[in-house]
Amino acid sequence: MKKLKMLMIGFYLLAPLAVMAETGSALKNDTLRKEPFADAKSAGNLARGESVEILKKQGAWLQVKTKKTSGWVRLLSVKRGASSGGGQSAGVLAVASGRAGTGQVVSTTGVRGLSEDALKAAKFNEAEISAMESYTTSADAARQFANQGQLKTTTFANLKPAAGGAK
Amino acid sequence: MNIKPKAQKTLLALLLGALTISPSMHSAALDLKGVVGDTIKKELGQSDTAPTSEPISATSTENVQPAAAEFNWKNPSTAEEIALGREIAGNLLGAAPLVKDAELQKYVNSVGRWVALQSERPDLPWRFGVIDTEDINAFAAPGGYIMITKGLYRKLVNEAQLAGVLGHEIGHVVMKHQLKVLQKQQLLNIGAGFLKDKYAKDNQLAGKAIGTGAEISARSLDKSAEFEADRLGLSYATRSGYEPYGLPEVLQTLGETNKNDGSVALLFKTHPHPDERLVALSNAIGSRLDKVQAGKTLENRLYKLKD
Repeated sequence: MKKLKMLMIGFYLLAPLAVMAETGSALKNDTLRKEPFADAKSAGNLARGESVEILKKQGAWLQVKTKKTSGWVRLLSVKRGASSGGGQSAGVLAVASGRAGTGQVVSTTGVRGLSEDALKAAKFNEAEISAMESYTTSADAARQFANQGQLKTTTFANLKPAAGGAK
Repeated sequence: MNIKPKAQKTLLALLLGALTISPSMHSAALDLKGVVGDTIKKELGQSDTAPTSEPISATSTENVQPAAAEFNWKNPSTAEEIALGREIAGNLLGAAPLVKDAELQKYVNSVGRWVALQSERPDLPWRFGVIDTEDINAFAAPGGYIMITKGLYRKLVNEAQLAGVLGHEIGHVVMKHQLKVLQKQQLLNIGAGFLKDKYAKDNQLAGKAIGTGAEISARSLDKSAEFEADRLGLSYATRSGYEPYGLPEVLQTLGETNKNDGSVALLFKTHPHPDERLVALSNAIGSRLDKVQAGKTLENRLYKLKD
């Protein structure tokens, strides 16, 4: 029993290390910074598709290590997950370069679960929709729920599409 | 083909022409004011029952005049929008029922309603549900009916992520993305004269309007609508006091899912690839989050599925 406990403590101690060893790849070209601030000095560049080792997260920033250098980059410039050689990077590149074009759909076929066909064949279910409506929460109850979680509203204007891009 | 007075046929042909050459189908459908209104009323004929809907609180800023006998496709009232959404959501539930766990459903409604309160349409009678399928997806229907699958819920690790996902769907409802698609389709159908007989016979106006089953839920929106919903979802969750990265984290997770996995087939078919969404979101955020104080993730409060 004691051994198991020790083992578990050991596991929890090691867990952060496992997180630190996480790898990822750059979703877009970006500048690496010497510190986690937008106006910090440049520490080099990150090229789209380049694989990185994620060292640390701090607020909206990730400290990453590339083959050439290391530095801080915005959280959302990096996609988590192992970059196995060039395979994944190629995928990211293909998508990010807009190869998918302006068409609406990248087509794959749904074969199971909540497939297109299953949805088309669906029949209206009054009992279920009534049940769903019965679970609705009032605005006041929702505010109380937020209070319990110490959620405090902040001012933040809706994000707008990035300037210059259709996205 | 219906036989119509010649004049009307000409008018419809003109309308169709206008719709076809317009660069933006959405706005065209919405901007054809009086002319289309009259045509629609003629085409829809008399409907026996008005779509029903629940009353909305007295403080509501929504347009809540009771749904008229004729469904106003040109400019649906909130009540009509809700009736339409109810029909779609009811069909979706016919394909996958609710997870039979009242605590889970109430929990998701609490989070969803709190996030919706920070949106531009806080007074809609928002409803949220977790549906019983291992497919990974979430759906929004007009008027505030929002569903997330058990498969997607399973992927979440904290409440901020749930808030982000629900925020995305809330964004669709706020911007009336699905409603606009239905309006466009309906105006075209009416223009083409396909619906006259059906409507004359059928009193389930909203039901007929959306085609068979929950087909609309299997359809894609414009990519731009998905990117917009991502931006709004993140904005609402942030305003709600959550850690802003909930939604991007879920997109990261989805991006790691093998796209040959059947559980994401429909999601991947109807949405831009998660990586593409992340890039768009990342570009829109820029430095906007640099000065935002850290929000809550509330991983301990995330309701745990029973199976």
